[in-house]
Amino acid sequence: MSTDALLEIRNLDVTYWDRSLLGLKGKGFQAVKGANLSIRPGETLGLVGESGSGKSSIANTVLGLVPATGGEIRFGDVDLASMRTNYPSSVRKEIQAVFQDPYSSLNPSMTVEDIVTEPLRVHTTMTRDERRTRALELLKLVSLSEEHLARHPHQFSGGQRQRIAIASALALTPKLIVLDEPVSALDVSTQNQIINLLYERRDALGIAYLLIAHDLALVHHISDRIAVMYLGHIVEEGPSDRVYKSPAHPYTRALLDAVPLLDPEAQRRRRATRKALPAREAPRVAAQGCPYRNRCPYVMPRCETEMPSDFPVDGGGTAACFLFDRATAIPGPAIGQGAPA
Amino acid sequence: MTALPTENSATRLRRPRWLGGGSFAIVAFAAAALALLLLLAIFADAVSPYDPLRQNLMESLQGPSAAHWLGTDDLGRDVLSRLIYGCRIAVIAAAEATTIALLIGVPIGLFIGYRGGWWDWVVMRIVEAIVSIPGIMVAIVILALLGTGLHKAMIALGILFSTSFLRLARGVVLAEREEVYVRSARVIGASDRRILLRHILPNIAPPLIVQTTLTVGAVLLAEAGLSFIGLGVQPPDASWGTMLSTAAAFMDLHWFLAIPPGIAIILTVLSVNLIGDVIRDGIGRGIAVAARQDAPAARFKAIGTAVSSSLALPPPRPDEVLRVEGLQVTVASPGGPGVPLITDLSLSIGKGETLGLVGESGSGKTLTGLAILGLTSVALRTTHGSIVLNGRDLRSLSQAQIEEVRGNEVAMVFQDPTTSLNPAFTVGSQIAEVLRTKKGLSKKEAWERTVALIDRVGIPRPAERARAFPHELSGGMAQRIAIARALSCNPSLLIADEPTTALDVTVQQEILDLFRDLQAEFGMAILFVTHDLAVAADICDRISVMYAGEMVEMAEVGQLFARPRHPYTRGLLTAMPHASDRNPPLPTIRGSVPRPGSWPVGCRFSNRCDFAVPACATRIPLTGTDRLVRCIRADELVLEAAQ
Repeated sequence: MSTDALLEIRNLDVTYWDRSLLGLKGKGFQAVKGANLSIRPGETLGLVGESGSGKSSIANTVLGLVPATGGEIRFGDVDLASMRTNYPSSVRKEIQAVFQDPYSSLNPSMTVEDIVTEPLRVHTTMTRDERRTRALELLKLVSLSEEHLARHPHQFSGGQRQRIAIASALALTPKLIVLDEPVSALDVSTQNQIINLLYERRDALGIAYLLIAHDLALVHHISDRIAVMYLGHIVEEGPSDRVYKSPAHPYTRALLDAVPLLDPEAQRRRRATRKALPAREAPRVAAQGCPYRNRCPYVMPRCETEMPSDFPVDGGGTAACFLFDRATAIPGPAIGQGAPA
Repeated sequence: MTALPTENSATRLRRPRWLGGGSFAIVAFAAAALALLLLLAIFADAVSPYDPLRQNLMESLQGPSAAHWLGTDDLGRDVLSRLIYGCRIAVIAAAEATTIALLIGVPIGLFIGYRGGWWDWVVMRIVEAIVSIPGIMVAIVILALLGTGLHKAMIALGILFSTSFLRLARGVVLAEREEVYVRSARVIGASDRRILLRHILPNIAPPLIVQTTLTVGAVLLAEAGLSFIGLGVQPPDASWGTMLSTAAAFMDLHWFLAIPPGIAIILTVLSVNLIGDVIRDGIGRGIAVAARQDAPAARFKAIGTAVSSSLALPPPRPDEVLRVEGLQVTVASPGGPGVPLITDLSLSIGKGETLGLVGESGSGKTLTGLAILGLTSVALRTTHGSIVLNGRDLRSLSQAQIEEVRGNEVAMVFQDPTTSLNPAFTVGSQIAEVLRTKKGLSKKEAWERTVALIDRVGIPRPAERARAFPHELSGGMAQRIAIARALSCNPSLLIADEPTTALDVTVQQEILDLFRDLQAEFGMAILFVTHDLAVAADICDRISVMYAGEMVEMAEVGQLFARPRHPYTRGLLTAMPHASDRNPPLPTIRGSVPRPGSWPVGCRFSNRCDFAVPACATRIPLTGTDRLVRCIRADELVLEAAQ
């Protein structure tokens, strides 16, 4: 991992504890297990996984909403993980967020002007007029206009609300914006409008994104790198095109294959191929060894006992899968079948 | 998500419109009553005809007269004057006690609700101890410590009523602090104090205002009560409570004495509560305000309600299970013809066939499914069209007959399996219940059949899983259970409303496979509602694309994807995330789906269409025989399939 990273996550653990009646720690659930990630300035990292994979836990930990229970989160020269959730103002203003649900992420009692300028009130000594000028600039950046300033969130559509949330996140021109499923609540035609907007703003302002999503196809359009999570582990990481077009880890391939193709004929053929494979009805949580071994069609004896480390993959990045362990030199299955042509 | 616009319009209609119609008069009256109360309180000295304390024993217990409009009391004091001075006491009492209650209750409630933990535990136990004793007793105990008198009584009442503000503030904060906007505020770096005061407090204002008005009313009553038993205002000072107390003593001799203070108390309390409701609706989350701005009913009138019936009805087929013709669903709007949500919708599904109903939020696709089942909400009405299931028109059936059809002939699977199953019962009992009520099976037979069904939908260890509660199952498992329940009576039509939208893609794939397998086995027709064209491509035989309440295109699945004919279908296809493999800008359809009531005249897609011509402003029929399209330029446009 590079040293010029803006955000560097090392061996991150996040555990949620059940609180017993007396406030003592009860049973724990480990949502993130030893995750490593790094984002350079101005870069977009797509973090992909299904529900329960731990991707949102990473986002919440970086944002200081949930404390890390182990590992490091280096942001510039500070370790965020050691601060628990008490980030100093100097860090807070550099990391902003856009959340999934545009219907609950904007305060219903505030006007658009209040929402967009709230970060300025908290972190700057700008006067009312200066803030208004800035609010107008910000609305312009997200293709809204002056007439929207005095309105309340309920007067906007989902896509417009997400634009307002983005304007607010851009207010302080932060170094990093965490985008937690920013478009998954929107219709397809609106999704692309927002993706385009995020892409333009990133290039114009040099902001880095940590983009959390469940849809690899969507993420790959604007990500420089993609990391894939499964049950708290990062199982694959690499350049966006390589991960999308030549997925290495069997889970990444399964994830891509599970999205139906837009060509009904090709989809029919693919379903037939998949159904010809032996069904693997096994519990999904593997206690030891590779977390994916119970669902993996390429499972080997080693996978039962040993946890694969991150092996380098041709074309860049790593995969936590023994198929890519050059030391054992087992010829891996041909990669590159996952993505639609 | 899909039902949002409908929900909005329904909420709008349920909201009382205080500023329109007959209720305006009531509100004006209440406001006038309160204004009069305040004026009398302030200018009591000037407007009172007599000194309220001046006794004249010669004229005691007189009825209303020209000299004493409301008569006199036992000591010959003028009742009207005492009533007016009583206003002053009432205003002071209400203001004092309510302010004290607010100042104590709200900050503590906000604090313990937001902080939680140990603070919350201790404070709430104290509050519970206070509220477990009858309120007036608590007030009497506090008064015993403080001594009697108006201000002391109001301090006692303030402390007493603060517990309700405390619990209210705490409860609302507990709910609000989990909202995403609070998380956003925390990420911005706002301090706890700022989050509480600037972000959360304004949102809990509506219930607080209601509570305040209720408290004002309660204080007035409690003041009267305490004065009545001699712990509040001390004689000879005039308050409505002491007046009632006097009246009670002379009830046999002169009943009229109780009437003026009684009416004053009732009027004041009612007016305060009513005005509180109005204020709450005014500053609420703004839904009522939006309703007035949109005025969908008015706008629709301009367009006209005449909906030309489409020429393109689906040709009758021998194996037809469901046939819908010219369906129109409207949402009621006061004083108008109603706003249409679905217009002129015709479709048919054959045995063993899957018809996809595809579109974005607000297209009416979910509503179509519900309308077929007759499950639309109260504000919605199916105004036109026929829904023929297995040869019977469902719209002509009685409620009892419809209920017989539901579950037996037609069943439904919803989007979110965790909420469509009842959390209080085991999943097995929910399936068995259907079998017992619809099929009349015995308890044992129903249970055996249930376990077999659970096995059939691919759940391992079915006998054990039948005894599980919905929350013990994953989303995919719960959806399998919901499917098993829908299939329990072997329906001829299954309506699936976004059944895989809440699931992960790998689980979605399994559920889609399950639908296919079950259809091959049971041969039911499926109406598959989804926003995801790729899912539709995978599961459907034919697809109907809906936009703004009408069908814009219908075709066999292969044809639709290879050669879409409507510009909207083309737009949807190219916007799919895996349709293109390039960097942004990604293709988009400009603008957004118009809300019902603000649909463009003529082609409803025309304001977003790249191919629109002036002729699109006229009403466009659905044309074609095999595949249908609602576009006047369909023949000249050559739209490329998504690559």
